[in-house]
Amino acid sequence: MRNSISVESGKRPRDMKSRSNRSLGVLFALPWIVGFLIFQAYPIIASLYYSFTDYNLFSSPVWIGVDNYRAMLDDERFYKSMLNTLYMTVFGVPLGLSFALITALSLNTKSRLQPFYRSLVYLPTVVPIVAATYLWRWILNAQYGYLNSFLQQLGLPEPLWTLDAAWTKPALLLIGLWTVGGTTIIYLAALREVPQMYYEAAEIDGAGVFSRFWNITWPAISPVTLFQLVIGILGSLQYFAQAYLFAQERLNAASGGPEDSILMYGMYIFHNAFVYLDMGYASALAWILFVVSMIVTAAVMLMASHWVHYEGD
Amino acid sequence: MKVNRRNLTLGSIAAAIAVSNGSRPGFAQDKIALDFPYLWTGPEAEALQAIVDSFNESQDAIEVEGVSNPDMQRMIAQMSSRNGFDISDAFDNNIGTWASTGAIMALDDLVAGAEYDTSDYVPSTLERMKFDDQYFAMPIAVHTALLMTNDALFEADGVAKATTTEELADVIKTLTKVDGDGRITQLGLNQPDFISFAYSFGGRWLDDDLQPSANHAGNIAAMEFWVENVLEPYGVDEIKRFQSGFGEYASPQNPFYTGKVAMVIEGEWQARFIQLYAEDLKWSAGFVPNPAAMPELEGTAFLSASMFFIPSNTSHPEEAFTFMQHLLSPDAMRDFTIALANLPTRTSLLEDPAYADIPGMNYWLDSLKSENLVFNPSTSWEEEYRTEIASTTEEVINLRKSPEEALNELQEKALNLADA
Repeated sequence: MRNSISVESGKRPRDMKSRSNRSLGVLFALPWIVGFLIFQAYPIIASLYYSFTDYNLFSSPVWIGVDNYRAMLDDERFYKSMLNTLYMTVFGVPLGLSFALITALSLNTKSRLQPFYRSLVYLPTVVPIVAATYLWRWILNAQYGYLNSFLQQLGLPEPLWTLDAAWTKPALLLIGLWTVGGTTIIYLAALREVPQMYYEAAEIDGAGVFSRFWNITWPAISPVTLFQLVIGILGSLQYFAQAYLFAQERLNAASGGPEDSILMYGMYIFHNAFVYLDMGYASALAWILFVVSMIVTAAVMLMASHWVHYEGD
Repeated sequence: MKVNRRNLTLGSIAAAIAVSNGSRPGFAQDKIALDFPYLWTGPEAEALQAIVDSFNESQDAIEVEGVSNPDMQRMIAQMSSRNGFDISDAFDNNIGTWASTGAIMALDDLVAGAEYDTSDYVPSTLERMKFDDQYFAMPIAVHTALLMTNDALFEADGVAKATTTEELADVIKTLTKVDGDGRITQLGLNQPDFISFAYSFGGRWLDDDLQPSANHAGNIAAMEFWVENVLEPYGVDEIKRFQSGFGEYASPQNPFYTGKVAMVIEGEWQARFIQLYAEDLKWSAGFVPNPAAMPELEGTAFLSASMFFIPSNTSHPEEAFTFMQHLLSPDAMRDFTIALANLPTRTSLLEDPAYADIPGMNYWLDSLKSENLVFNPSTSWEEEYRTEIASTTEEVINLRKSPEEALNELQEKALNLADA
């Protein structure tokens, strides 16, 4: 009976059902597809076009070829902002991951207060970023800040955290450590997934704490580390809010902190777009950031095979 | 059910037509609706809203909807969209960039068309509104920078006020106190804004052709004054440490009110702040002294302004200008500038007794009568130039470069900006 129907219609019912399911799937996904095309794909493609134009938002873009990209070669702030951002990436990401992992390891104990500790570590990440940054500005105040008072009691030098160009980036790194709660929670979950039998076997073999960490824990959580590393790098390359709030002097001012020491690449794009109204140059800067992000991510992924171990490897 | 749906549809269409005609539901149908977002908040916004309300009451052709919106990026986005606003406010340093990009419209035709009388304005305040010899904004309030002195500290040390920059150097030396550990406990003069401070030394940042003059001798002299009389004697790090402990600006902990700083160069809003936060403070204000060899600079005061503008994408420029005239009328300007503790831009208001309610406001009101009011004219590269000046200032106040070296380099960069 089935065969006769399929012969008559020329189509097999399973194909029809499959096609119908596909259409239904596309239909359900349509809101996202339309949203993606309008709100993401179009702006991305438009920004690529604008990067080759002289465009200020208020008049039609004028094609200028690669002039915007060429102008970056002579732009001191382009280099300065890129170096500042790379500093935050090179030092901030490993520092943040290490701190989060150490915190997770110290929390990975059997304790009835475990949920409380986890909440405590995660709490700073839910504090609004503006409020937290202003709070840190006072903690880091050179004259009356808690941190310098503490350093003074220890007889250590008291840096001008927010005023000295040499200390502004370390100050931002310090603030970054305060908000590793999210990374810590992910690490904690990963640590819980490491099979206990490996540790028991290693203990029987006489392996020490460091050896157990290096040979069991680290390989087991390496996929999670890779994920956090990539996310951390991408987030760091887009570093904006804390530095912007640290540097802000007056409404809509293009400030980069003491001697532009915390002028991050994202801030420089913002200054060009919304202070100087040079949307063409800002678009070109954004595309350079995109290319750098892709290269760095690709490099990390390529190197991952040397140190990331998946289950079953 | 069908009827309801139909009514709903017809209602929606009617509302859409009403919106497309420039009026909105809730407004009288025969009135043109103007959108008026403004950057001010709090009591200033309340004062402005009262002026909006008085305008609406007086009108049967225009209805203004004012809303506090202290978000300049949003403002810029709206100015570049099809459905933006009709009139708003900003600071004068935006005029050059916005006018040169076509974001805001020239007002000359509207001024001429309405036969608007500008003779009552302090001339410099109107000049500040120009770009390329056209008015692109109108000033509602201006600010001048004067030297404020904590007279109690002067009396305690028996120090007379400086009349020249040479005397100012001596006063700074006397009123800057350092304890036994080398820590500053009182600063003679807080760091000034060098853009305005330079003018008191005869400096300027643009020449008559609106080309950069960053390495003008007066600019170099102003920065050298600060280096020689403050940074080198007391140390960059120590000054920064002391400054980092300053309390909130708009609070009783402001370092000038608490006696941590003996002199500051500030604008007229300080008169209101002192009234609010340090009523018992004994203080006065006057023009920043000038070099003894340059008596012609006497009465020099740097002027900046808050202004109203009309974006180019408005559909109702004439109506917006009608409302702007109301905002700038003597009564509205008086009420608003008193609420802000800013200076009016009309000469007829400089002697208005209403300002006497703010003790000390007269120092700044009188400054507007000076022949030596100065300002930076608008250029399309003004914001970039300000950024470069700020960077150069950082290099100088950190003693990375001498003022002359830093300003020569700034001049090169500024010339590139002007050529771009």
